[in-house]
Amino acid sequence: MLVWFLPVFLVLLVISLPVFFALLFAPGLLLWLNGQERDIALLYRNIYNGIDSFPLMALPFFMLAGELMNRGGITTRLVEFSQALMGHLRGGLAHVNILSSILFAGLSGSAVADTSAIGSTLIPAMEKNGYTRKFAAAVTAASSVIGPIIPPSGIMIIYAYVMGESVAALFLAGIVPGILIGAGLMLVVWLLADRYELPKAERIVQQGATISNVEYWVSFVLLRLNLVAVFVAAGYGLLALSADPATYAVAAGGWTPWVVFAALLIPAHVYLMWLRGRISHDFRVVCKKAVAPLQAPIIILGGILLGVVTPTEASAVAVAYALFVSFFVLGTLKLSDLPDVLKRSALASATVLLLVGAAVAFKTVVSLSHAPEALASFILDLSKDPLVLLFLINILLFVVGMFLDAGPAIIILGPILGPVFVNLGVDPLHFAIIMSVNLTVGLATPPMGLVLFVASSVSGERVETISKAILPLLAVEVLVIFLITYIPALSMTVPRLTGFAQ
Amino acid sequence: MGVPLAEALLLPLRGLSTVNEWVLRVASTIAWISLAIMVVIVLVQVVFRYAFNAALPWPDEAARFCMLWMTGLIAPLAYRTGNFVAIDTLHAGLPKAAAHVLSLVLLTLSAIVLWFGIFYGWKHTFGFGGNFNSSSLYVPLGWFGGETIQVKLRYMYGSLLTGLVLMMSVNIELILRELVGLVAPAAKQPKVQGLNAPVDVQ
Repeated sequence: MLVWFLPVFLVLLVISLPVFFALLFAPGLLLWLNGQERDIALLYRNIYNGIDSFPLMALPFFMLAGELMNRGGITTRLVEFSQALMGHLRGGLAHVNILSSILFAGLSGSAVADTSAIGSTLIPAMEKNGYTRKFAAAVTAASSVIGPIIPPSGIMIIYAYVMGESVAALFLAGIVPGILIGAGLMLVVWLLADRYELPKAERIVQQGATISNVEYWVSFVLLRLNLVAVFVAAGYGLLALSADPATYAVAAGGWTPWVVFAALLIPAHVYLMWLRGRISHDFRVVCKKAVAPLQAPIIILGGILLGVVTPTEASAVAVAYALFVSFFVLGTLKLSDLPDVLKRSALASATVLLLVGAAVAFKTVVSLSHAPEALASFILDLSKDPLVLLFLINILLFVVGMFLDAGPAIIILGPILGPVFVNLGVDPLHFAIIMSVNLTVGLATPPMGLVLFVASSVSGERVETISKAILPLLAVEVLVIFLITYIPALSMTVPRLTGFAQ
Repeated sequence: MGVPLAEALLLPLRGLSTVNEWVLRVASTIAWISLAIMVVIVLVQVVFRYAFNAALPWPDEAARFCMLWMTGLIAPLAYRTGNFVAIDTLHAGLPKAAAHVLSLVLLTLSAIVLWFGIFYGWKHTFGFGGNFNSSSLYVPLGWFGGETIQVKLRYMYGSLLTGLVLMMSVNIELILRELVGLVAPAAKQPKVQGLNAPVDVQ
């Protein structure tokens, strides 16, 4: 009897009932028909308990940090930096668009923010440079799905919470797949560039740009500190591999690391001054301007990797850093902007939090109903081979992604599909990445792709036109999905090396 | 025939719309302030744990308290401004009158969910469990010569209940709007003031 709640739920979704209500109405109705009124009270308490969670708090914080950074005008800095690196290639601005998305992904966990920020800067620039508008919009939409794959990531926080995985491990597992998608897109652009003679662009957008004093010194200090951190990390890495544990313990304990750190500041400074003489003034200014924004992902990931902070605390630190940068370093944000930024982040995260609460309630009914067992036996009737099943599940996810946004889809499908595949021997972390990447790519697939709609409103091009132009780019993303599915090492290596997964 | 009916519906719609407008304006203000407080609380904890090596007992629960109220107080505004996620392919494809009828069906289903939510929320908040004291939260009025007030769990439970009640109020307004749209498509409906641009909800 209770198994029927799934079909009822699907019907409610198809007739356009908001997901939040559908997640509660279907199980509630079936429990009531089944005479289990007591369990409806359980349903309610699970919504509440679902929202009442500290790890989930990373969601509003990362949204807030992303929004603050975006308002603070970091997008232009990232785009100019990308252009200085890749603008001179054939199809330069398309490459710039993709690289900007990769960099932006380290600050924001949302594909929509990525599309609207980068699209509004780069689509007009690409058009001026001689690209068709539909191609510019398609590249923007396709590359923005990297946003939720490279950490921080909203949907990964949600998935980790609903499924009881580690947020940090999921974040780390997303890095390689995200970069793979970026690299794949660049490959397509490179191939298309020869065929359609896509134009090159200037590496420097603005000649003779200046940089404010504060920003100059902030990036001066940050650059040196980061360089030394790289030296120290490399040094200790080598030491841990080669030397015996006792030497390593002495070198890593007490004050020694700090002394080493301070001493290494001198070679770092000398190296950077040497570098300064070898590059042009304009290039240097563009790079310096990107230092402060790009420090944010380093703080977030560095903090989590070193075990200094939990992901939630890292997200709060990211908010503080974003405030510091946009108020004191860049001076681009006014105090009067804050209420609006806070209100929008609160509103966006409240809807997601309600959904998560409803999903936790939904999940209890999923397990009460034995739906996963029924589904598992159905799936196992199709095939016993995990590889075939993963192929089928990818197709299912892709189809779902065409109609539903990544967040709600992962909330609904995670509890149903996760246990089935984990029992088949797929690593939970690997499965989480398959789901996240696949459903995120779904954001850019017609007919119902959130990112397509945003790209359309930013560019003024019709959704149908963009949908056609995006197909070759989507083909590569599908290819990457299958690579990730069949080579678990792609997602598992980073969390394993850093000790966040077995 | 539709006109007097529309008039009869427009009057309560205008009243309810104004009430919702103002209540949600206040509620959403408290909500974004809660978000700001959450950030501060978590940062305080980070500083105390790593700089002073003395983790505080209350920030975890206090931050969750703020998040619960943030959710309860601003989610109704999201509902009113159409920011609840739905697959609206079918709805968008229907002719106008049919779309209004479908909306009314959907809003009725939502109202049923909200009704049960409020029923169980009331029991949850004012029932036995809500009497217990929070494990770490109290209002230290002792500092000002008063009596220390223990925060009861029901002060937190109330957040979701409040959210559901406000959403019910919004739901009734939306039903009135659809009814007016059905009987008098040309009637001028009160505007929804909310946010100036679409919000990023994934």
